Amino acid sequence: MLVAALLLGVWTSAGAQTSTSSIPRTPDGKPDLQGFWDAATLTPLERPRQGQGKTLTPAEATAIERAAAERRDRGVRPSDPNRKAPPAGGVDSAGGVGGYNGFWVDRGSSVTSINGEARTSIVVDPPDGHVPPFTPEGRARARTRRELANTFDDVEARPLGERCLMSFGSSAGPPALPVMYNNIKQIVQTPDHVMILNEMVHDARIVRMHGPHLPGSIRKWLGDSIGRWEGDTLVVETTNFTNKTFFRGSSENLKVIERFTRLDAKTLLYQFTVEDSTTWTRPWSGEYVWAWSEQPLYEYACHEANYSLEGILKGARRQDADGSAGNVGRPR
Amino acid sequence: MTARAWIVASAIVSVLVTAAPAGAHHAFAAEFDANRPVLLRGKVTKVEWVNPHAWVHVEVVTADGKTETWMVEAGTPNTLLRRGITRQSLVPGMEITVDGYQSKDLSKRANGRDMTFPDGRKIFMGSSGTGAPRDGKDPTEPPVR
Repeated sequence: MLVAALLLGVWTSAGAQTSTSSIPRTPDGKPDLQGFWDAATLTPLERPRQGQGKTLTPAEATAIERAAAERRDRGVRPSDPNRKAPPAGGVDSAGGVGGYNGFWVDRGSSVTSINGEARTSIVVDPPDGHVPPFTPEGRARARTRRELANTFDDVEARPLGERCLMSFGSSAGPPALPVMYNNIKQIVQTPDHVMILNEMVHDARIVRMHGPHLPGSIRKWLGDSIGRWEGDTLVVETTNFTNKTFFRGSSENLKVIERFTRLDAKTLLYQFTVEDSTTWTRPWSGEYVWAWSEQPLYEYACHEANYSLEGILKGARRQDADGSAGNVGRPR
Repeated sequence: MTARAWIVASAIVSVLVTAAPAGAHHAFAAEFDANRPVLLRGKVTKVEWVNPHAWVHVEVVTADGKTETWMVEAGTPNTLLRRGITRQSLVPGMEITVDGYQSKDLSKRANGRDMTFPDGRKIFMGSSGTGAPRDGKDPTEPPVR
């Protein structure tokens, strides 16, 4: 209860500093959240350094953004035309075989900034900017899931993202987090429903306004979301998850509260609190902004050409056959 | 010979494959073999601009004169579309150089760590808002989150 009161205090103060008088509105007077939004940010979920404060100085923010731009520029420099094949045994942490080249990655070009404060992390509660520890049950569940992720004998054991059934990294959420690319979302809004369409794997979240939750016997991969307006903020509560999807180790007991506030024509403040007492030792919260996108959301059509899944399964079969199965990769 | 090609397959080196970063669509380490590096030079025969990964087909000629068609895995095309890259940016007939690692099932597939024109220029350069290449060449690159 104390935590909830503190969180409410944080949000109230954030909202109090925000003038929303000039934002677009729907015919019924509600804030119009519709359009395309880009959730990419250079601000990480958790604070990179222990003891680091909540905000970055302007100089620190500029340095992070400049470093990202410089990495990008290095990434597009010509390669050695006479280069040889890369070294046997691999080159980096992406399982040794390299990951995406920079031109396929889009993490955005700026840190998240709320009410003029550049942020060190998306997590704002606990105040140290870190996800709280697992409960013993949560830790055991995470261990079991890691073991399952190394199973290649059953296609249904592969992660939902790898199977193109859902986006990876909680891109759609709830709660929605920025990932390495495809961070565009489209919001469509009526008085009765709000849809949040996610570009990656076209995950569509349908929020029913003002309705009660579905009975506990009805569970959904993206949970059951109901919405209400608190002033100019859309508040969405999601429960009724399954054990097939999980957010950073959560269980089907997960409850997510999201708050969407259009700060101005170009900025949407996205805040969330997650609660699952069977997973974490306390609830935790985060916030970052989504930027108005002039670019539309593109079709994803992930399943039709998912040769990667076929390659992963065939690779494991091949290694089983030749006795080198101990060298199968370790997916996330 | 329409294209020159070198294919370098490595000796067998037993390594402990480290965890792939969370956040990618799939585990590169599960699909490709760190012990089978390849360098492919040849002409593009087809480009599949598809999700979750684009695939570039390249015809290469091996050291013993045999022609092989390889499929090279790249990232999601949506990011490139958003930057104005179109299907005309890479078309059949263009010569490219790719280095990467062969798939574990030993088919003629590889991941494209670095995909360039023969003179080394990046095929998809000139974009904005990109991150660093996670190819181990940049020691300052941040971990994938």
